[in-house]
Amino acid sequence: MERLLALWVEALSSEEPDGSTLRDSLALLDALSLLCPFSELVRLGFYVLPLRGPSRFFGGEEAVLKMARETVRDVTGHEALLGVADGVFCAELAAREQRVVAPGATDAFRRAQPIEVLGRKDLATTCRRLGLYTLGPFADLEVARVGERFNKHALELHRVARGELDELVGQRDLRLGARLGHLVGEPSSKHEQLGLFGQRGAGDERAFAAAHRVRRRLGADALLVASPRGGRAPEDRATLVPWGSPLVEPDAKAPWPGQIRSPSPVTSLAHPVAVRLHDQHDAPVLMSARGTLSGEPATLLLTSYARRTVCWYAGPWPLVERWWVLGRRRAYLQVVLSLGEAMLLSAESGRWWLVGIYD
Amino acid sequence: MFAFSSTRPTLPSDLAASLRPLTLAKSRMMPLGEPWKALVPGGGLRRGSTVVVEAAPGLGGLSLALSLLTASSANGHWAGVVGVDDPGVVAMAELGVDLRRVLFVPRPRGAWAESAADLLDGVDLLVVRPPSRAAHGVARKLMDRVRERGTVLIVLSEPGAAWPLPAELSFVVTESRWATSSRLDARYLSVRVAGRGEAGRASEHVVMLPNRRGQAAAT
Repeated sequence: MERLLALWVEALSSEEPDGSTLRDSLALLDALSLLCPFSELVRLGFYVLPLRGPSRFFGGEEAVLKMARETVRDVTGHEALLGVADGVFCAELAAREQRVVAPGATDAFRRAQPIEVLGRKDLATTCRRLGLYTLGPFADLEVARVGERFNKHALELHRVARGELDELVGQRDLRLGARLGHLVGEPSSKHEQLGLFGQRGAGDERAFAAAHRVRRRLGADALLVASPRGGRAPEDRATLVPWGSPLVEPDAKAPWPGQIRSPSPVTSLAHPVAVRLHDQHDAPVLMSARGTLSGEPATLLLTSYARRTVCWYAGPWPLVERWWVLGRRRAYLQVVLSLGEAMLLSAESGRWWLVGIYD
Repeated sequence: MFAFSSTRPTLPSDLAASLRPLTLAKSRMMPLGEPWKALVPGGGLRRGSTVVVEAAPGLGGLSLALSLLTASSANGHWAGVVGVDDPGVVAMAELGVDLRRVLFVPRPRGAWAESAADLLDGVDLLVVRPPSRAAHGVARKLMDRVRERGTVLIVLSEPGAAWPLPAELSFVVTESRWATSSRLDARYLSVRVAGRGEAGRASEHVVMLPNRRGQAAAT
């Protein structure tokens, strides 16, 4: 059973005639989805979200509880009752008691609950007459005896009491999903900034909303889009920029003589990794000012322990790129390694760099 | 009864317009470009389905996964790419992906599944590379969500870290060989394509990915 954070928001539990409850419920669900995308609205006023992932991400259950509490306050202006336990049934009971049940203690917590929490008056009365006041003794009854004495609904409640089912029949509003679904299509916020590429259609709205969610979760620099720009080397010709940054007008007419021809590496390292290239005598391969190599590349040392055999290479192709301005001289080398991987290396300032992988 | 009558009455135009299922069934498929549309059962990727692309690191898995985006991207669909560290956008443009409608989350830190779930609501296809073997529960939730939203999830996995649940469609790179001249020319990928159910039969194909122009092509 999954460890859940349950939120009970009394003010959202009964519907207002103007439909505002549904809209507020949806707004809160969207906000909670930022804490955990698997947040659920079980029924009006009652939300659950799995706690394990978010608490690892936000640094502990305490932090998630605090953020959840603040989220409810910010979005709805109401206070929520929070509780933590395994399974939807126990999580709701924990929320009503505003209690964080320790991991592994859910069984004991459930067994100590009064029999009335199963929500069946007839069953509770009979149980009390039998001297069963809490879920524990009821759960310990043999299944066959429960079947004999009560009706078939009681069998299901018995399984809940034993912890075999994690939610009670009737605990979840099965029609709620469809009703919220109708609301989701309605246009909501209009304040989103325009994306990099001007016009937007219906699909764009949806994509931008998703982009916003990722940005709010991970920070403004986590969500990137492509921005074309001039340059000769693959890592210069197009680049990824944080979504929402101003568009750099590409200098499309600039000729790119000496540009590395397609195919381009499908992994293009934003921060090239220093590597070493050795010849068959295990001496470093150097590139002269005129762009010739001191020896045949035979081994690529990706790190001090990862030595890979170079089966084939092509180049070097020098790129004399405005060197009189930048003082940069670069050359490119394509290599194929023993297992069949192909890589693009660049030589600059007397060193070799891994700049691309043809994955 | 109409199926048996040779002279089928013409439907009133307003009724014909209300008969949506035919067009819906078609739009349930996301189109595929060359060479996949001839090799994949049904010729497209079904919305709400999960596709697994498995290859050893560096042997073409990423190119293959991205090549599945091309036709949909050209048709105006949005795509997301999560967990791919340094995507080569030039290579993606060469493949035929419209970069104006791709959202990248290269480093989702600890939250790859959450980022993926966030993006699922907004894109039509989502390429995800989990940092390690995905947990069973996380995979199930993502796949449920994909089914709910009608997105196509394309999971990039390695042989040692397989996706824990069966996917509707899988591409396994079994061999990768570069053709070279004075430079890298083209790569020949042997790919085993297998589906589930009616599309169950596995078939093995050799495709060029990339070819000299950086595109995916039949051999």
